Amino acid sequence: MATVWRSQCTFTRILSGKTCRILNNAADLGSKLSPTSQSVTSRKYSNYAHSPLVKHIKEQYEFEVVKKPPEWTYVQRLLPFDTIPQVTPKESYPSGWIPPKDEAKNLPFFIERTRNHELPIYLDITFRGMRKVSAIRKIEGDIWLMNDEVKEYLKNKYCRYVETRVHELGGFIEVKGDFVNALRW
Amino acid sequence: MGSRQITEKSLAMLRSLPRISLANLRDNPGAKKNTKRGRGQHGGDKHGAGNKGSGQRMNYMRLGYETGNNPFYLRMPHEPYYKGHHLRRQYPPLSLHALQSLIDKNCVDVTIPIDISTLVKSGFYNFFPDQKHFGVNLTDEGADIFAAKINIEVQWASEQVIAAVERNGGVITTAYYDPHSLFLLKDPKKFFQSGQAIPRRMIPPPDAIEYYTSAENRGYLADPEKISQERLKLSQKYGYTLPNLENEPQYTMLCERKDPRQIFYGLEPGWVVNLKDECILKPKDKELQDFYAS
Repeated sequence: MATVWRSQCTFTRILSGKTCRILNNAADLGSKLSPTSQSVTSRKYSNYAHSPLVKHIKEQYEFEVVKKPPEWTYVQRLLPFDTIPQVTPKESYPSGWIPPKDEAKNLPFFIERTRNHELPIYLDITFRGMRKVSAIRKIEGDIWLMNDEVKEYLKNKYCRYVETRVHELGGFIEVKGDFVNALRW
Repeated sequence: MGSRQITEKSLAMLRSLPRISLANLRDNPGAKKNTKRGRGQHGGDKHGAGNKGSGQRMNYMRLGYETGNNPFYLRMPHEPYYKGHHLRRQYPPLSLHALQSLIDKNCVDVTIPIDISTLVKSGFYNFFPDQKHFGVNLTDEGADIFAAKINIEVQWASEQVIAAVERNGGVITTAYYDPHSLFLLKDPKKFFQSGQAIPRRMIPPPDAIEYYTSAENRGYLADPEKISQERLKLSQKYGYTLPNLENEPQYTMLCERKDPRQIFYGLEPGWVVNLKDECILKPKDKELQDFYAS
């Protein structure tokens, strides 16, 4: 008989625990309740049975609302850029990045920078690494003159003929082989 | 027939022919590719795939497979150097050279402390907390050219990197973030828009505590006095004069550190940031304040 009574007690205990989880549902719980609210800070009990029942949980907490506080600068610096930042002129660029020069605008051909302020020179590897093609993109002006100069430069540097392909409308030159580093500097 | 005749004949033909217009233009031969693959008499056969085997079925053998032989990579006994590698913490690298180029291109502001959210914001670094990435490993490539005075917080740094940053009068800290905090740091705007309170940063797991409490690694849990001793030691080891931090004009910026429980600079755990109304909600309840301070 005692065991039955005990199991009934556990049953009610589990049930009451469950109902208590539902917020502010404390009214229909009966004797085991106390008016003090349950803390959100957790504490470890050695046994689940020793832990107190879940009681009234606070739904609303008091908050101080501060409009445009001094800490707002910390929030602003976390938000993403609207646009890619412009580069301000500096005395030196230790990373080896070279800023675009003003006198380049008067030359017969001109290569525009990418949106990330880099040179548009790329390497395309296809056919499982069998074909490597270096491409110079965003060329404006006399592309054929540039093609001659690129050919001459690479021929002098590597002492061999290099094959190029000029796309006048697309404004790019493709060089057969990996010459990205040679073309960049 | 000489070439001159050919030229003259072609020119004569051109004169008699109609002008180029949309009506008589056509694609270059081979410019259009038929998407259909003919069967039988309509160009059937092998379609350029050869006779039988890998060419037709595209079942290229997996790497190391030797068509039934005991493969080379299995002939030797197993030596598990990399056991559990898929469970270890990973730190995707960023070199000092890459960081310097970010600074040169104004993608990273050196007048404020740099942490992983700044690096992700620059758009040139990314990591995935759900793939066991626990932050940035600052590597020593370009340590010689590095010339920026910064206050940077990374998750992993070698001795050379620490020396390179401190040689220029900068400050470096290694700090641990649990994956949940890293999600917030990766995209703070998304988190602020969700309207949740900023959580607490968790303490490092047992095997990482040693790293983040040691002054040699400039751990965020190390004793500041020991760190200043180690700074001096490292300067003597690498042979540079350590600039005096107190005399710097950016002293306050260089001394700015996060609390071990803090995720964002200047924002405390428990605060709710409202981006729309530009206000911050700070909890006043004693209970909440205790929770976020614990």
